Amino acid sequence: MKAVALFAPELYFLLMALVLFFCSLRRQAEPQKDFRLFLAMTGAGILVGALSLFQQGEIFYASYRVDLFSQTFKVILAGGLFLVALICHRLPGVEDRFHAEFYLFLTTCTLGMMMLVSAVELITIYISLELASYSLYILIPMRRGDGIDVEAGIKYLFIGAVSSCFMLFGLSYLFGATHSTYLVDIMPKMPALLASPVGLLGLILSLSGFFFKLSLFPIHFWAPDVYQGGANQLVAYIATASKAAAVAILLRFAALGGSYGYSFAQILVFLSIVSMTLGNLVAIIQKDFKRMLAYSSIAHAGYILMGILTLSESGYTSVIYYAAAYLIMNFTCFMVLSEIAEDGRDLKIAEFAGLYQRSPLLALALMLGLFSLAGVPPSIGFTGKLLIFTSAMNQGYFWLVLIGAVNGTISLYYYLRVVYAAYFLEPGDLPRVVPSAGIRWATYVLIGIIIGFGVFPMQVVDLARHAVKFVLYS
Amino acid sequence: MAEHLTNFPYLTCMVLSPVIGIAIILFLKEEQKFLIRAVALVAAAVSLGFSIYTFAAYDRALGGLQFVEKYEWVKGFGISYFVGVDGLNAPLLLLTGIVIFTGVLTMWELELRVKEYFAFMLFLVTGVFGVFMSMDMFFFFLFYEIAVVPMYVLILIWGSTRKEYAAMKLTLYLMAGSGLIIPGLLLLYATSGLQTFDLIALHGVRFAPWVQKLAFVLLLFGFGVLAAMWPFHTWSPVGHVAAPTAVSMLHAGVLMKLGSYGILRIPMYLCPEGFQYWSSLFGLLAICGIVYGVFVGLAQTDLKYVIGYSSVSHMGIVALGLATGTVDGLNGSVFQMFAHGIMTALFFSAVGYIYDRTHTRDIHELGGFCKIMPVASAFFITAALCGAGVPGFASFWAELLVFISAVRVFGIGGLIALASIVVGALFALRVVQNSFYNEPNPKFVHFEDVSPFLGLPRMILIATLILFGIFPSLMLDLIKTAVVPFISGL
Repeated sequence: MKAVALFAPELYFLLMALVLFFCSLRRQAEPQKDFRLFLAMTGAGILVGALSLFQQGEIFYASYRVDLFSQTFKVILAGGLFLVALICHRLPGVEDRFHAEFYLFLTTCTLGMMMLVSAVELITIYISLELASYSLYILIPMRRGDGIDVEAGIKYLFIGAVSSCFMLFGLSYLFGATHSTYLVDIMPKMPALLASPVGLLGLILSLSGFFFKLSLFPIHFWAPDVYQGGANQLVAYIATASKAAAVAILLRFAALGGSYGYSFAQILVFLSIVSMTLGNLVAIIQKDFKRMLAYSSIAHAGYILMGILTLSESGYTSVIYYAAAYLIMNFTCFMVLSEIAEDGRDLKIAEFAGLYQRSPLLALALMLGLFSLAGVPPSIGFTGKLLIFTSAMNQGYFWLVLIGAVNGTISLYYYLRVVYAAYFLEPGDLPRVVPSAGIRWATYVLIGIIIGFGVFPMQVVDLARHAVKFVLYS
Repeated sequence: MAEHLTNFPYLTCMVLSPVIGIAIILFLKEEQKFLIRAVALVAAAVSLGFSIYTFAAYDRALGGLQFVEKYEWVKGFGISYFVGVDGLNAPLLLLTGIVIFTGVLTMWELELRVKEYFAFMLFLVTGVFGVFMSMDMFFFFLFYEIAVVPMYVLILIWGSTRKEYAAMKLTLYLMAGSGLIIPGLLLLYATSGLQTFDLIALHGVRFAPWVQKLAFVLLLFGFGVLAAMWPFHTWSPVGHVAAPTAVSMLHAGVLMKLGSYGILRIPMYLCPEGFQYWSSLFGLLAICGIVYGVFVGLAQTDLKYVIGYSSVSHMGIVALGLATGTVDGLNGSVFQMFAHGIMTALFFSAVGYIYDRTHTRDIHELGGFCKIMPVASAFFITAALCGAGVPGFASFWAELLVFISAVRVFGIGGLIALASIVVGALFALRVVQNSFYNEPNPKFVHFEDVSPFLGLPRMILIATLILFGIFPSLMLDLIKTAVVPFISGL
């Protein structure tokens, strides 16, 4: 019975996937019915996640650990899925008869990620990761379109497969050197192992699967095409929930680097610097909004890595805070995007023109979301970034912080261009946008979260701090 | 520094009053223009009231940090909400209160997107109040950014003359400054070993010399951008020209002081050795700014550009005062921040009135305004005289103190700066003569003079200038309570 309670969120999402599977068997597609069902079930999913927040224990021969860290991320993931469900009320990017399947694979993907954050054994980690990835391989080409979706799907599949290969290769090194697939057994042997090339190479290669999910340099180049080619709602999911899961498993895995890994940290420093600089510079010249956000996500992967590579309690705390913050602020931007693109098309930045007159509320939400991504106060993005910088500086990474801070300035330039279009350009003959009541309320809540938790971060930071203890000292 | 806790949260009320104003304004409709303005005015008036109270009620015999409020914010990172008033920020809080109050009055006639305008303006001023009162580096920086970013939107929507260029340039310059400030602040935080952002606690730490030098130069240039320190001043005249009247007032009057106050409050306070090491460079840049601003201003024909460059020059005087590192220099410098803030606000307020009517700011096209609008002209001429350092106005005392100590510390450099003030007088008088005393331009003869209501904000500013010009000790005694212990710590 205890095991069932520990596994409750996953079981719930498995059940949900089954229900959606039966929905997909209907002869006549009933998209509205499916949507309402999906929304209700994801809403209940948050509840299930929240109820099992303080569960603790190990199952499946200790390959699966339930602790505050994993449960926090499960709530974040369930929340992310719920938010994405909210903006699926119109799903013009996907054909009506595929809606149930679309929801089904979103659910299995979330299930995979939930297992990923709890997995503490190499094979389990790999299987969870692939469950999440395979769902996405199917979801991306589901977009109704002109072939751009297929290109995106193939790119994602190939690059995903290659990074999985690298990862398996790295895992085999770790297994070969330590004779165990359990992280608990590997961890004490890592300090000695890291001094040798096998350990270092094994660890870095193992991380590449997660770097892929996080769209970190050098496995970042799928991001712009997939962002542009996928349906808006799906990309919102990839850009938010999927990133959060990648952060979670990176935190667990990078803790293996321990306190002795000087060269390990140096490699991560390098990746972090290149990732944020490259992402920000290339984002400047983008004209498509989703492509721009893709490059901005590459830059943000760099910031997140900056917190991870501190390998310290405060660094991990700030990364958890930032991952949650990133989910909220990025989602806000995608919500505005999918509301404006009524027919599910890709939006050029120029198409935000006069948003201020077409829908003042969405314009405000967009501005706050972008400012938050740029790290302007008072917002969760600012607080999160400053916490990450603080912990990086505490570990003596002065240059990294300096480069990160300069990058913040660069990024402001392209975010401001969108704000400029929304607030200053004339709308011309672009139509008004009238968000539904549900979206309006969601917008109020998101704005409240962005500002509220930006100014009063203490509860979230405290929760994150408790969660971190389970990763670093176990 | 002694900390005296308060029994009533004066400072929190001061900073929250604009926030509450914003909240109310957001619930009003765009059509209720009068109500929106009234709410903004009340919010500004409440803040002004609190700032006057803290200025007047500050116990000068007791000294130290008063009206202190301190709450732990984020425990693990050593962030606390810690605000207080001492002799350095009391004048600046008062300045902010006066400028926002008169600024709202000045923009009373605004018709375009009134709701957002006042919301953004109050947001900006929240940040300014917050920076001046924060004694915690995290909140200092948070408020600093809050004060800087709304400028982009304010200039973009309500500005004029190349506003897109100016807004983007200003924002990127200031953000680049922030990019230097963050590493500087965090370097001090990390090397202190205390895990706290509390400025007073950090003051007790003796940082290693290399930390002091590095942090000082990062923060000097980071804050220096906002203080329009030469050669990072180029955003400032362009920004002033493009911004709408009240934003220019706030921006030149108050925002630029955030930069110089930041230099005083953080790097000079925490890194005395860094200051010793860099003070001659700091002084040199300040002198360059004074001389450069005056000469470039001489060649301008747009009234707002003239004021913009005179601001560069006057902010140079502030920086020069800081660079001397003497009691008189700092006294004069803080006083100059206050006096220059009021004076520039008056300048922009007067020009704004004329520009709203004539839609030109060209010195040669204006002319003979003394005969057309005697009162409006009087406002401008008063500001010009004050800018030229005529005795009887507040800035006379401030400049006097700064130059006395500058000549003592920097010798020939101080003399050069002093000499450029003569050119400054020339340039102020040239503008006054061209636009106010030549033959009137017949195009503009039909315009009406300032009504008593619209004249009110300008009268308040003039009254302040004269009050502190005749009784400088009101201000200097207060500043001295903080400067004397400050210098002994250097």
